[in-house]
Amino acid sequence: MEPILKLESIHTFIGQFHILEGVSIEVPRDSITVLLGRNGAGKTTTLKSILGLTPPREGKVIFDGLEVQGKRAYDVANFGIGYVPEHRAVFRNLSVMENLRIAEKKRGDFERKADFIFGLFPDLKRLYKLPGNHLSGGQQQMLAVARALVAENKLLLIDEPSEGLAPILIEQMMAAIKELSKTTTILLVEQNFIMASQLAETFYIIDDGKTVENGKMADLVKNDDLIKRYLGVNIGKVGGAE
Amino acid sequence: MIKKGLFKQSLPVIIVMGVLLVFSILGYRFMGEESFVRTALSGLTLGALYFMVAAGLTIIFGLMDVLNFAHGAMFMVGAYMGWQFYTNPTFLFGLLPLVLAFAVGLSSTSIWMPIVINWNLSESWKKRINAALIVSSLILVVLGFVKLDVLGLAETAMVAAMNAGNPLAEATAQEPLSVFWFRPLLLFVSGLLLAISSARPGDKTQVVSSSKKWVPWLRLAIMALLALFATLFREAAPILVLQMDANLRFVLALIVGAGVGAGLGMIVEVSLIRPLYSRPFYIVLLTLGIGYVLRETVQLLWDPVAYAMERPPLFSQPGKAENIIAWFSGNNLTIDILGVTFPSYRLFIIALGVFMLIALFVIMRFSRLGMIIRAGVQDREMVEALGINVKRVFSIVFGIGVGLAALGGIGAAPFVPVQPNMGDAYQMQGFITVVIGGMGSYGGAAIGALLLGMARAFGDFLALKFTLSPAIAEASTVVVMIIVLLVKPSGIFGKKE
Repeated sequence: MEPILKLESIHTFIGQFHILEGVSIEVPRDSITVLLGRNGAGKTTTLKSILGLTPPREGKVIFDGLEVQGKRAYDVANFGIGYVPEHRAVFRNLSVMENLRIAEKKRGDFERKADFIFGLFPDLKRLYKLPGNHLSGGQQQMLAVARALVAENKLLLIDEPSEGLAPILIEQMMAAIKELSKTTTILLVEQNFIMASQLAETFYIIDDGKTVENGKMADLVKNDDLIKRYLGVNIGKVGGAE
Repeated sequence: MIKKGLFKQSLPVIIVMGVLLVFSILGYRFMGEESFVRTALSGLTLGALYFMVAAGLTIIFGLMDVLNFAHGAMFMVGAYMGWQFYTNPTFLFGLLPLVLAFAVGLSSTSIWMPIVINWNLSESWKKRINAALIVSSLILVVLGFVKLDVLGLAETAMVAAMNAGNPLAEATAQEPLSVFWFRPLLLFVSGLLLAISSARPGDKTQVVSSSKKWVPWLRLAIMALLALFATLFREAAPILVLQMDANLRFVLALIVGAGVGAGLGMIVEVSLIRPLYSRPFYIVLLTLGIGYVLRETVQLLWDPVAYAMERPPLFSQPGKAENIIAWFSGNNLTIDILGVTFPSYRLFIIALGVFMLIALFVIMRFSRLGMIIRAGVQDREMVEALGINVKRVFSIVFGIGVGLAALGGIGAAPFVPVQPNMGDAYQMQGFITVVIGGMGSYGGAAIGALLLGMARAFGDFLALKFTLSPAIAEASTVVVMIIVLLVKPSGIFGKKE
């Protein structure tokens, strides 16, 4: 089957800086793909380039058979992409309910999805009326993910969902993402290699703004050398044997 | 934890109210009841006016980081429009067909789009064609308005100003029909050229909306019909308006003033400010310039003298009402409030200010637009990533902000002389209000406006009492600003950066 998202050698500049120097990715449908790489390698910029928040200057972004590079971000989002930014970017001065309602792309989206969302994140139902800035870090992260689920999206871009979360919350988040992957395609950026390796089927490694390696996650876990070279983590951690 | 947060949020309000209360008690004690009530009521009136200006300034700044230095001029334009509509709408109805003809041409954008984006043009030709279209469109506008009949237009406006209640259609009726129809035609073509330019020829990256083919044509047809009606009824309409009940006419004037203001704001945002968002300093200069252009245009059309707008009959029957309930049946010029004779129209201004505060609160709190605005103040990028056209929200907010100022202008017109620089002082106080209240917070604007209005009224009172120059009283608002900023540099409701 044709991949839902295809990046063909995109180049993105932020101001004077050449951040992405040829990123090529194919995201297969109905699975989780993870982008790995060191801090500052260009993972977040890749997600933003897909949406057109930082429009690529060269290359093609093909979403669901449609060339979307150069189009306005809100148009791209309306084609069916949900975005969960890093740093838990929920709207702090909006209530939990408003944070969810604002993501409606069609009238009644929220009513249709409410049961599903509160099934995944039961905490949010309890916090329904609180403003976003009264939530804890973990609750904000849940809300940020939930917000991307309100509209009928074909692809979710999730940026570092585990960042700064307590271990128990990471497990909860992983379970939620696994549950989500049954119905949507997910492109994940994740520093936490343990989490990434347990969730994703496919991986891409970005280094210095270029995609350098890709393949099946199962193969990467065995490839000690590759992990050390590009990710700087010790393979010993993967099995949980610290 | 939550209760503590709420308390912390409302603490500034409590402090401000406490300070006002202490000063009130002191004032009441030493000024005597009569002059205290009078001064406090004047303060409320001024505060309401400051709020109308500051509310627009602050929501525009909060969402878009734009300091609109043309706000006072737009306040003034609202006053002129409302005043003309109330006293003699001949000029407005003469202008309407021209504006609509232009809008008809402009509304053809989405019809051109599927055609022109497939033109094969190199980058330099794209730029050249765009520039040629915009320049020729502007030339046609200038031709349509100026070359053919600037004197006639200005004359109509001025004659209309001098002949309150007596529509004069002769000025336009006497010119040959060929000339008369030629002017809207020029403006229609001008709008058409601009429409082609805004369809961005050769730009294949844009999304052509997939809605049905006939929708843009329908829109065009409706606009064309409107323009035709406006042209046919340009002479009958002013007579009709002048024959209707004067109070109803005043309400319509408020709506017209606010509507023209909102339209003006949207046009300015889309055409001039939008290309400059990445250069904030240019926007400051641009809005300053727009302010000058508006003032000079008004001076060109109407004589640069101060006009007085009469109060609607609802507030001008002779005599004094014993209380507000008596006023409802008597519609008197003044009302007795706690033993003070106070003009009833000023009470209307206070009510208008309170109404605007409540309306703004309801919109910001409970509507989807308000939700998007509050979210956009914090994180524009994320709002866009949710599939919301933030640029369109910007235009709407700019329209609302300027519309509020224009509504303030027409509200103020019956007791402030209508003249080109009438908005400047209010703009100054509006900026001070916004700084005091905290940039971007409309609740802060309300509190700030209340403080400033009181400061100004009591400053005036003190200056009079100690026979000081009135200029000292004008400094009283600045003194309040300095005190607030010393205590809380980000303003009463300001967020720490």
